[in-house]
Amino acid sequence: MPFDQLDLKRAIAGDERAMQRLWSQHAPHIDAVVRRLCDDSELAADISQEVWMQIFRALPSYRGDSQFGTWAHRIAVNRTLNALRKIRRIAKLEVDIEDDSAMTEQDSDRTFVAESIEEAMRKLSPGARAVFVLHDIEGYTHGEIGEELGITSGGSKSQLFKARAKLRKLLVHLVDESSTVVEGKGHVAPV
Amino acid sequence: MSHLSEEQLDQVIAAERSREQAPLNEWRTIAARAREEGLIRESQSSRWWTSSQPWLQSAAAVLLLIGGIAIGRATIGLPSTAALPGTAQASGVGVTPSASTAASVPATSASGDASFASVDDAAATLHRAVTDYERASQFLAANNTTGGNTDSLSMYLDRAAALDKIVNATESALRTAPHDPVINQYYLATMGARAATQQLVTQPVVLRGF
Repeated sequence: MPFDQLDLKRAIAGDERAMQRLWSQHAPHIDAVVRRLCDDSELAADISQEVWMQIFRALPSYRGDSQFGTWAHRIAVNRTLNALRKIRRIAKLEVDIEDDSAMTEQDSDRTFVAESIEEAMRKLSPGARAVFVLHDIEGYTHGEIGEELGITSGGSKSQLFKARAKLRKLLVHLVDESSTVVEGKGHVAPV
Repeated sequence: MSHLSEEQLDQVIAAERSREQAPLNEWRTIAARAREEGLIRESQSSRWWTSSQPWLQSAAAVLLLIGGIAIGRATIGLPSTAALPGTAQASGVGVTPSASTAASVPATSASGDASFASVDDAAATLHRAVTDYERASQFLAANNTTGGNTDSLSMYLDRAAALDKIVNATESALRTAPHDPVINQYYLATMGARAATQQLVTQPVVLRGF
């Protein structure tokens, strides 16, 4: 169900049903980016609340120049990165990707792709994780990432290169001996 | 193998990108915060359609009346195309209170071919229509003694069951398009017709005036 102008007006006016419709439609995508940028689900839930409050507060400023989802997504990324900065999770963006201090060495035998990639992303440094999520999953350009994170476009590319190299290593367990990516328990998908 | 290939990693990323994920919070959690901050206003939430859309309230009243009248007239076998005197037809709304079916009513009212100068003009016309229907109904109740056959209780029950199905269908449609005016009108008309039918079920007697 598209979120139309009438719904927007009602949501601005404080109509809970309209606000809920907006949330229902966009929460899966908005919350997904928050979840991916955070390495802690509890923290992600807290930040998501803040994100949605910010979206509702900012509704009157939405001019319809872009898709509502795109507009809300920007708010989600900004708010999440700001929150992460505040708690010093992105204190240093240009960290050495090979520094494993942020890594937890607990071995996981989970085989689902989703769980594996979540776990692998958790092992990236905060900066590399942010670049990877924004570029490879959310589709941001390096220029946009540079603006969001306050780094150069080249820095973003460098972080992405390192992040991908590390993920390729961390996710190697998804590939079995016959070079297939494990899709779930008992299921394989060809690469 | 000690590394995924770039292509394999791209495939994993694509799977992650398309993965459906549940929201991080429940709506009630978000709503509680929004309420605390005054972003949700109860008056708007509970009565949006009456407070922000007074025309819809008027339309609902008209349709409820039309539905009841239509069902009543159809029930006792009055001519289905008979127009009521002093009704919205005369007021220019374009809503003809025919007795064909309740569901047919909103189709005409939603045609949008009436030439209203403004929303206020249309709302005023609707208000007049409500008043006209009320007066016409009172007049008919007092003066129209045309008798009709007392349809069997089973017929009313069949109609009530059929209307229930329409109500379910329109409710389902409203969940998909909650603000669609045409669907809302169908829904309201059907609800009016169902209410009238239920009354007939409980009192299956010849109704004066219908």
